[in-house]
Amino acid sequence: MEVSPHHPFITTKLDDFVHWAQSSSIWPMTMGLACCAIEMMSIVSPKYDVARFGAEKFSSSPRQSDLMIVSGRVANKMVPVIKQLFEQMPDPKWVISMGACASSGGVFDNYAVVPCDTFLPVDVYVPGCPPSPDALIYGIMQIRKQIEAGGKREVLARRA
Amino acid sequence: MPETLHPHPERTGKPDLLPALTAASGEGFLEAVSADDMDEVALLPGALHAAVDVLRSYGFNVLLDVGCTDHLPLSPRFEVAYHFASIDPKRRDPKAFVPQFRLRVFPQDADPIVPSLSGYWPSANWAEREVYDLFGIRFDGHPDLKRIMMPDDWEGHPLRKDYPLRGTGRRFTPGGRVGPIPPTRD
Amino acid sequence: MAIDLSAYTDNPDINLSQGDAGDSFVLSMGPQHPSTHGVLRVMLKLDGETVLEAEPELGFLHTGIEKQTEQLFWQQAVTVIDRADYLAPLSNSLCYVLAVEKLLGIDNIPKRAQVLRVIFTELTRIASHLVWLGTHAIDLGAMSNFFYAFEMRERILRIMEFVTGARMHQSWFRIGGVALDVPKGFLALLDEFIEAFPPRLRDLRAILEGNVILLDRLVGVGKIGAEEALAWGLTGPSLRATGVAYDVRKAFPYCGYENYDFDIPTHDGGDCYSRFLVRVREMHESWRIIKQAREAFPGGPVVIDDRKIVPPPKTEIQHSMEALIHHFKLVSSGFNVPEGHVYSNVESPRGEVGMYVTSAGGNKPWRVAWRPASFYNLQALKRLAPGNLIADVVAIIGSLDPVFGEVDR
Repeated sequence: MEVSPHHPFITTKLDDFVHWAQSSSIWPMTMGLACCAIEMMSIVSPKYDVARFGAEKFSSSPRQSDLMIVSGRVANKMVPVIKQLFEQMPDPKWVISMGACASSGGVFDNYAVVPCDTFLPVDVYVPGCPPSPDALIYGIMQIRKQIEAGGKREVLARRA
Repeated sequence: MPETLHPHPERTGKPDLLPALTAASGEGFLEAVSADDMDEVALLPGALHAAVDVLRSYGFNVLLDVGCTDHLPLSPRFEVAYHFASIDPKRRDPKAFVPQFRLRVFPQDADPIVPSLSGYWPSANWAEREVYDLFGIRFDGHPDLKRIMMPDDWEGHPLRKDYPLRGTGRRFTPGGRVGPIPPTRD
Repeated sequence: MAIDLSAYTDNPDINLSQGDAGDSFVLSMGPQHPSTHGVLRVMLKLDGETVLEAEPELGFLHTGIEKQTEQLFWQQAVTVIDRADYLAPLSNSLCYVLAVEKLLGIDNIPKRAQVLRVIFTELTRIASHLVWLGTHAIDLGAMSNFFYAFEMRERILRIMEFVTGARMHQSWFRIGGVALDVPKGFLALLDEFIEAFPPRLRDLRAILEGNVILLDRLVGVGKIGAEEALAWGLTGPSLRATGVAYDVRKAFPYCGYENYDFDIPTHDGGDCYSRFLVRVREMHESWRIIKQAREAFPGGPVVIDDRKIVPPPKTEIQHSMEALIHHFKLVSSGFNVPEGHVYSNVESPRGEVGMYVTSAGGNKPWRVAWRPASFYNLQALKRLAPGNLIADVVAIIGSLDPVFGEVDR
């Protein structure tokens, strides 16, 4: 991005501009399933204040959100529901798998819990049971880095 | 099942409850026990409604819970435990005594059927559906006996002791193929 | 629902007929919804906006906790049991720990452990009610309450983290006491909280209690009488809002609750507003209990002295062979609990949580059959919702305060 010293113009690449807009106003979808949902609600609370990063608008409608935070354990019955909601989200969309249960089944190694990466493409995994709100905000920061780097998984390959 | 101990009717504050229950259950009566926490009576399913009528007439108006235990490899295998309490709707004294009682019903092992209590208490509706879903015990007379926790097309009853912890087949895998279950550690 | 359609009958292109009871449609208030407090699906049969029938559908959070506990040692099972009712984890583990202590025949829990159990359970109760207040108010449109309530909750979670190491899911209770003694500085933190809470509670009440909008939305909505409430298995604040003074802390005292002076708030309305008032007043009573427990804070050990059940302190393991062997045995294969079964109950923020624990004499629970308060509270939605508008269904669900981890387990 260049700021021209004599004329009131800023020149930048369109990609950079779009990525800046996207990463500064990530709208999560309220996919609050279990305990992690409470910590997800806590990131909006005054102590952790995710509004600093532009992500405080939790949109309940998948059509108007771009980040799905799978917060909590995914039961068998819930899988088709989450899949349908993910498909309803418009591109570009990102997925954070929050907590141990969403990422891998967590404490529950049994018939009932399904890790969410078996049916969703996950961008960032946030470990913890539940992860503290700072950890989730760190996860959202990682999503921002991915957006700014221009792709979902390229950021891992490029930044060694 | 524990050995028969001598019941202590003063636990419930109603001394003639136990003889009334024994009489009403008739052949379905198995034993009366004074367990660590409350009095209980073990029954066969046929005697359940009669026993519940007696309990209700003695003021046990609240069905606290319908729970089930699978005692495999013992037989009878299933135990459906009903917990009752007697709470006065006009109760104003928080410290007043609340009698509690337990009925343990032992249905047959193969195709277990127990009469439903949903005619007596609307709260029994979901509790019995849950026992049906997780253990496979059918409740005779239930208005809407279908699965409640597992998806409707699930096969098997997960909380039975012969159902493996990790289930019998992975339903969701990357690529959608039904995959094998990884081995457990112990 | 008769609607005046005379304005439309002049236009020959529009062919409308008045809706009657047979002209209803079914709406799935789906598992993902901002106001259902978790994953609940309510199939609403609607006539316009009036609910004719409501059938909640559960199971979207079924985790197999009860089956999981059968594979863990008696003490390890506390970790999964915490995760059921995730707003009040210590209540669940308290119920379980009390059940196992009854089976083991332990009745000499040290005084300090009892007081700590009471303090932390009441802190959990206040934290859970604060979440309820914040989310219920948001459902009704009052957003600022959420921030006040959650800020207060952060202080409680700070105390939890300071003592137990975890904000939620502390898994701090042990069979025989609590895990570790409280660190220095705990009492100062607790005193800070005891001072800060009443003004904040007063603020929260001032915003909502006499608020015209709240009164309009909650008074008379979801009304139920005492007998019906008992028939539907309601317990906790939902039952006390119908006037029945049943609280497990007073009816079957545990952990020394009989030594504290607190009231059981009840209200006679039976509607959402009564439930609201009861819960708000309960927060104050919990604060009173914490204050009394703090003033009477005793010294002494925090676990019983039985090495077969509770591991010895780490310092002892370093120079005593016996202590090392005890520790090894407990960690590698737990302890055995004599055969038997017991029903223990506690008053969780949602109502009476009971566990019917069966032991087969081994080192793992044979069966932990849960009596979840929210399961029975939520079932009453079938009775409370019909006759109200959809917006009232949201208010009713909020006032019943279900937690789906507990409903589905």
